[in-house]
Amino acid sequence: MSTFFSAYFYDGKSAVRRTVEVQTIASDFFLLETERRHGPFAFADLHYVGDRDGGAVYGLDANDGWRLGLSGSVPADLTAKLPAKRFYGGWIDRLGIGRATIAFAAVSAAVIAVVLLTPQWLAPLIPASVEQSMGDALVGDFGGRFCHTKKGSAALDKLVRSLDANPESLQVEVAKIDMLNAVALPGNKIILFDGLVKQAKSPDEVAGVLAHEIGHVRERHVMQALLRQMGLAVVLGGMDGTGGSMLSGALSVSYTRGSERAADKHSMKVLSNASVSPIATADFFERLAKLSGEGDGKGKLTAMTGYISSHPLSTERKKAFENSIVKGKNYKPSLSPVEWTELKTMCTQDRKAKEGFGLDF
Amino acid sequence: MDDNQGQAASAFRFHGKWQDFARIAVPNLLLTIVTLGIYRFWATTREREYLWSKTDFIDERLEWTGRGIELFIGFIMAVILILVPFFALQFATQALALRGYGGWAALLTLVMFGFIMYMIGLARFRALRYRLSRTYWHGIRGGSDDQGFGYGWSYVWKTLSGSLALGLLVPWSMMDLWNDRWNKMSFGPHKIDAVGNYAETFKRYLLFYLAPIVFFVAIAVIAVTAGTTDSADGVAAGAVLSVFIFYGVLGAVALAFYAKFFRVAVAGLSLHRLEFAFPAKTKAWFMLFLGDIGLWLLAALPVAAGLAAFGVFANFQMPDPSASPDAIEGFSESLVLIFIGLSVLPFALVGPFIRYRHWKFFVTHMEAYGEVNLDELTQSATVVSKHGEGLLDAFDVGAI
Repeated sequence: MSTFFSAYFYDGKSAVRRTVEVQTIASDFFLLETERRHGPFAFADLHYVGDRDGGAVYGLDANDGWRLGLSGSVPADLTAKLPAKRFYGGWIDRLGIGRATIAFAAVSAAVIAVVLLTPQWLAPLIPASVEQSMGDALVGDFGGRFCHTKKGSAALDKLVRSLDANPESLQVEVAKIDMLNAVALPGNKIILFDGLVKQAKSPDEVAGVLAHEIGHVRERHVMQALLRQMGLAVVLGGMDGTGGSMLSGALSVSYTRGSERAADKHSMKVLSNASVSPIATADFFERLAKLSGEGDGKGKLTAMTGYISSHPLSTERKKAFENSIVKGKNYKPSLSPVEWTELKTMCTQDRKAKEGFGLDF
Repeated sequence: MDDNQGQAASAFRFHGKWQDFARIAVPNLLLTIVTLGIYRFWATTREREYLWSKTDFIDERLEWTGRGIELFIGFIMAVILILVPFFALQFATQALALRGYGGWAALLTLVMFGFIMYMIGLARFRALRYRLSRTYWHGIRGGSDDQGFGYGWSYVWKTLSGSLALGLLVPWSMMDLWNDRWNKMSFGPHKIDAVGNYAETFKRYLLFYLAPIVFFVAIAVIAVTAGTTDSADGVAAGAVLSVFIFYGVLGAVALAFYAKFFRVAVAGLSLHRLEFAFPAKTKAWFMLFLGDIGLWLLAALPVAAGLAAFGVFANFQMPDPSASPDAIEGFSESLVLIFIGLSVLPFALVGPFIRYRHWKFFVTHMEAYGEVNLDELTQSATVVSKHGEGLLDAFDVGAI
């Protein structure tokens, strides 16, 4: 930097660059050209714009395009009157980057903790009627895919009654969809897909899965997961797509796995109360494990993906259900052979129910 | 020394240094992480302030005057005006589909699709307008008095009709839309004129258009002649190789079209007595994207090293199954978090450096001829909006 000090000026009205001298008078200043004087301008109206080749450029409030550029060694008395430079933005410059980083990190950690933890307490506060209407709005009559026969529905009803103390508050349906799945939805709705019922080797297997879904409903997991997802979406909304969704996925997955484990626990408890043997459910998980390739050559890979997938490993769940068997306990089948046949063939018998998904979205 | 080496005497010159840019990009990333992404609007602003201030036009640097808060407000507006109705519509579509009204759900999806297309067009226009209104040279800025609502509609119908006639109208729709939006822009008192002619790009487009057909015919001929003699392994290897060649060739031909398109489009631009040119050939574009890929690979190195350190590639050890589930979960969570930490950081730095490279590419290849009369170049009278390119942010499309 030279001892030479120079100033240039754009008035914001034309593009002509003017070489000027700065004449300071108290809190105001003039800009002097050879034959013209610009001003007066107030130092208080100046704002820092940026750096150009070692010098600083200033703008004047409410004057579009007005620029004063200073280069060389600016006299100390002038520097004292000029506004401060801006690096990261107002707050951060005032705090300093180190302290600002710590402060932001602390606030962010607190916000994430609130979003992750509060759904547990908030979910029960949402009125049942609100959840009910949400569920109704979402599901309706499922496009007429629910199967009903007199005897089949009675068998399903019996199963639900044996597994829950308050069965009237649950809506359990079998849908004519050939998928190995079951879901718990808002408004205490549980849907068993016909594919799952059909492949089951015994009613106890259906009871185990049903009890698991009832677990989700009773622990209010559905509402919690919804609130948590919404919260994370809002909080991490500022992030780029991939980074944000990766983080949000990683944060919610551990909760999903926790919920699955809690639902399994609930399932084992109510099966035990109903004197239904958990061995059939363990068998079901063994078959699932084989389907997904755990235990064979691809075992290592699945073990790896199992960690990051939403459900605990099927083999792990199978072991848990096996371990819950009480030796010498007098287990009885959850449905009679006749009832089981009626439930299993309900969707085949009910010809009015629509099949599968008409349109996939 | 700066990145200005080897630049011919051109009206546009770039003086940035990537080391200086890194001093902006790295703190930006740090602040973006600790603010859960909110700082990224200010980060973008700081990046642009640097890139603009290192860009010379004739005798003076450009200046970016946009503020982080404007981008932030734009983003909030986009969330309220687009994402909220979008999710409401999505919920309605799902509910309709679940209830068996497949036709209505399909119709609603179509409406949503049209809505998004309109918004992308609008976003593109407004982003260009925002950027021009925040770009100063000699204290003078650009802008537009058009709100872009009309452009949104022409974007919808021209894009749709571009795909008609088996996609042969795509060059026409691209060039027409380019001219449409640039013709609405101005700098200082002067209107920008855009008269790019799509016909000049059509031969290149045909090359791109016909390349897959030529390719498949060639593959068929080779397969028939070789199929009689070759082993099964040879056929499989040939199939894999042809897939790679297919995408490589198609990518190169697409780039050749785009290079030509950009040359013609920029050559059609003029501002008062200034003419513009962008003589970059396909090879230059190819090197640009090759460099981008190199950056991605560079970022992948630490991730691969991290994974290797965990033994995923060699002998991954399951934790003891007899351990409590909580211990297993703790282990897996730390694994996931470490992985995210390792992969997000380098990949997050790729974005800023790609923007740096692309800006440098545009500036170094940009040419201008003619004259600028500084006395005539007076301040723009266009309206300046108080919000940034939030709409654009929501759809992740470029501005030029």
